[in-house]
Amino acid sequence: MMSQRRHLLIAGLIWAVLSIVSMVLMAGIQVLPEIASKEAVVEDRTFVLLTVVSMPVLWFVVVGMAYSAIRFRSRPGDDGDGPPMHGHVGVQTAWLLVTLVMVLGLFAYGAVGLVEIRGTQQADYEVHVKGQQWEWHFTYPNGATSTELHVPVDQRVHLLIESEDVIHSLWLPALGVKQDAVPGRVTEAYTTPTVTGTYGGRCAELCGFGHTDMTLTFVVSDQPDLQAWLDHLPKEPPSQ
Amino acid sequence: MSLDRRSSPLLRPGLLRAVVGAALGAAIGAGVLMLANATIKLNAQPGHLLGLGYIGAFFGFLLGIGAFRFWLTWASGRQVDEAEEHAAHGTAGDWTRYLRFTTDHKVIGVQYLVTAFVMFMAAGIGAMFMRLELAQPGLLIGKEAYNTAMSTHGAMMITVALISIIGGLGNYLVPIMVGARDMAFPKANALSYWMLPIPVLMVAINPLLGGFDTGWTAYPPLSQQANLGQQAYLMAFVTVGFSSILSSINFLTTVFRMRAPGMTLMRMPIFVWALTVTATLGLIATSVVAGAFTMVLFDRLIGTSFFRATRGGDVILFQHLFWFYSHPAVYIMAVPGLGAVLEIVPVFARKPLFAYPIAVLAFIMIGVMSFMVWAHHMFVSGMAEYFHIPIMLTTELISVPTGVVFLAAIGTIWMGRIRFRVPMLWVFGFLWAFLVGGITGVYLADVPTDIALSDTFFVVAHFHYTIIGSTIFGLFAGTYYWFPKITGRMYDERLGRIQFWWFAIAFNLTFLPMFWLGIEGMRRRVADYPAELGGVNLFVSVMAVNIALSVGLFVYLMVRAWMRGPRAEANPWEAQTLEWQCTSPPPVENFEHIPVVTGTPYQYGSPPMAAIPPSTAPAPGHPAP
Repeated sequence: MMSQRRHLLIAGLIWAVLSIVSMVLMAGIQVLPEIASKEAVVEDRTFVLLTVVSMPVLWFVVVGMAYSAIRFRSRPGDDGDGPPMHGHVGVQTAWLLVTLVMVLGLFAYGAVGLVEIRGTQQADYEVHVKGQQWEWHFTYPNGATSTELHVPVDQRVHLLIESEDVIHSLWLPALGVKQDAVPGRVTEAYTTPTVTGTYGGRCAELCGFGHTDMTLTFVVSDQPDLQAWLDHLPKEPPSQ
Repeated sequence: MSLDRRSSPLLRPGLLRAVVGAALGAAIGAGVLMLANATIKLNAQPGHLLGLGYIGAFFGFLLGIGAFRFWLTWASGRQVDEAEEHAAHGTAGDWTRYLRFTTDHKVIGVQYLVTAFVMFMAAGIGAMFMRLELAQPGLLIGKEAYNTAMSTHGAMMITVALISIIGGLGNYLVPIMVGARDMAFPKANALSYWMLPIPVLMVAINPLLGGFDTGWTAYPPLSQQANLGQQAYLMAFVTVGFSSILSSINFLTTVFRMRAPGMTLMRMPIFVWALTVTATLGLIATSVVAGAFTMVLFDRLIGTSFFRATRGGDVILFQHLFWFYSHPAVYIMAVPGLGAVLEIVPVFARKPLFAYPIAVLAFIMIGVMSFMVWAHHMFVSGMAEYFHIPIMLTTELISVPTGVVFLAAIGTIWMGRIRFRVPMLWVFGFLWAFLVGGITGVYLADVPTDIALSDTFFVVAHFHYTIIGSTIFGLFAGTYYWFPKITGRMYDERLGRIQFWWFAIAFNLTFLPMFWLGIEGMRRRVADYPAELGGVNLFVSVMAVNIALSVGLFVYLMVRAWMRGPRAEANPWEAQTLEWQCTSPPPVENFEHIPVVTGTPYQYGSPPMAAIPPSTAPAPGHPAP
């Protein structure tokens, strides 16, 4: 019979190797398929960090299960019991402390990211967004309106979002924006686009049978291009 | 027999009279309104007819089944016929007791369990329709049919998750495990069960009423404008809520007042502790969602404006009320599964449950903290900005008590003598699934990642890993574990193993790819998706069909074993909790002599001692009263 200490040592070693290897592998990945704003960078970075930190947790349970299943399997004909061990104060205390410190750390990191995304209320550019069953309308500072969203690159854009009827959710994946449009309220989102281009967006909150087709195109462009595009739009008085 | 006094089966309390009663009640409810409408021009809408018809059918059914007959006799000042009361308890071996208003907790447990599995399969049919639509990009069954299938699947599965373990296994086992002869209120117990058929039927037939498209969350304003199927769902959910509250009171009273001598709180099996926490949550939280749904019904039917923004109502208020119940509800679903798993681990690891007091404390902490995390469902809803930080903190913190389940399970199997019988396989399946569910939950608790992942298939994958991982794996583990006790028969071990591996592999191959689909931007509750995700979706659909087939095998092997499996011994697993000291199945009142409990239920590895005296004869040195 191997001693308890020996089992712990071997399982611990397997756990450490698997954890370190997977943490190194995970640290280099990009998760979100499209990243075109500072906010999306924060979201992707947080995703990667959570993945790296969760590796030791994942392997702790998996190695604990797999090692036990192999080494502590009852042999045929063995109808005896295991040792009468009801608990271990040290192990229990360590478990609670480690998990507590871990989740507090994750919370702190998430809070920093949250402040980066939503903390500042200053913006360089403002677009009014209106959702209705089943399309989006955008109104720009000069009063022009469109169903395609155009925003300037490298400026902090303030989106003021409203809904005509039911709840919608403006989701611009590449910009790291997802914000519900709520009837009777104006909700807000901020984004700082960093990469010019044309992207796809969609409504993320179930808004009826047409929800499936409630998609949109949005464009991140240089200031001159944006101005040129805006000049060709029909103008309506701003909605508010 | 007093039951035979009324010769016609139509007049005797029973299923036939209940069906007639429901039809009569519906006719009276809707008829009165139609009559009033015709005479004084009430402008009644189909919704009003459905509402009153439903209430009529509900009470007609209960009167017909005989749910109120003892109370009505008592209330009218007459003496309740003792023979009839005794007959309502049912006699062993009589299968018709499962179709009657029977007050034996074991019968009610089986009723709940079978109902839950039937609903599980009905909900599975809904899932098959969804995966049929999603197997390829483009539309097949159509958007409306997809949303109705999705909503019905959700509503059904939520009910299964809420009632299966606590209603089925809990009803059957809790009184025996604490050494009682029945639940504290046997008639109320039967009433909680018989309150279910009408609302469940209502949800099942909602496609005939136009279906509903909101999903089980029923957010207004969408749920205010959707058609009659929506109203059917709202009414059904409120009714199931009443049943849940009633049964919670029963569980708590049983646990706190009916324990056998010596069964101190810290000697209770962990499964009983889990259900105690669950019942507490059900008791406190359910009325909030019932209130919120009733307010939506009032907005729809009698012109109130609780959630109508155009008339001063607040849309986000509904979400707060809804999730204030529905997040604790996640634990109402999960904790019984966690309890079942921790109950089974020591038996097959042949070791005492590791850190039992900490596990009890963890369940209580989960219960307390589950009321403080609801708004993590609303990070992108437009709720107050400052509220994100505290909710993120509490949500992260609740993973500490939840994680204790892993401490207890792994601490128990470590250095054990693990016997890999079918229930233990499900325990290992649970550990993996709940681990994946727990880890991916952190991404949704964290606001920056939740912005990217909210309302995508990542969420779908996450909650299927947590809820199937805990409730359904726990339900399967518990059903395989207690099947010999409940039926007195043994199932085919080999088929059981095949069924486990089939289900577990198909389950993982269905839901693991969904995490990736969600990250790639596939939205939930949507009938179509970008064409480049077609390959993975087809694979997921094929695997989902395999889940359904494996459940089919489960039903086959269970039915076969129940009908003609070999007789099971009283204690085939050599377990130490009280239910295994009774015969399989236990006699109608469980114990001839109430046992005296002298130790914890997990004394594995200690020198053999009669810690728990058998039910029929008091153990030496522990005379029964």
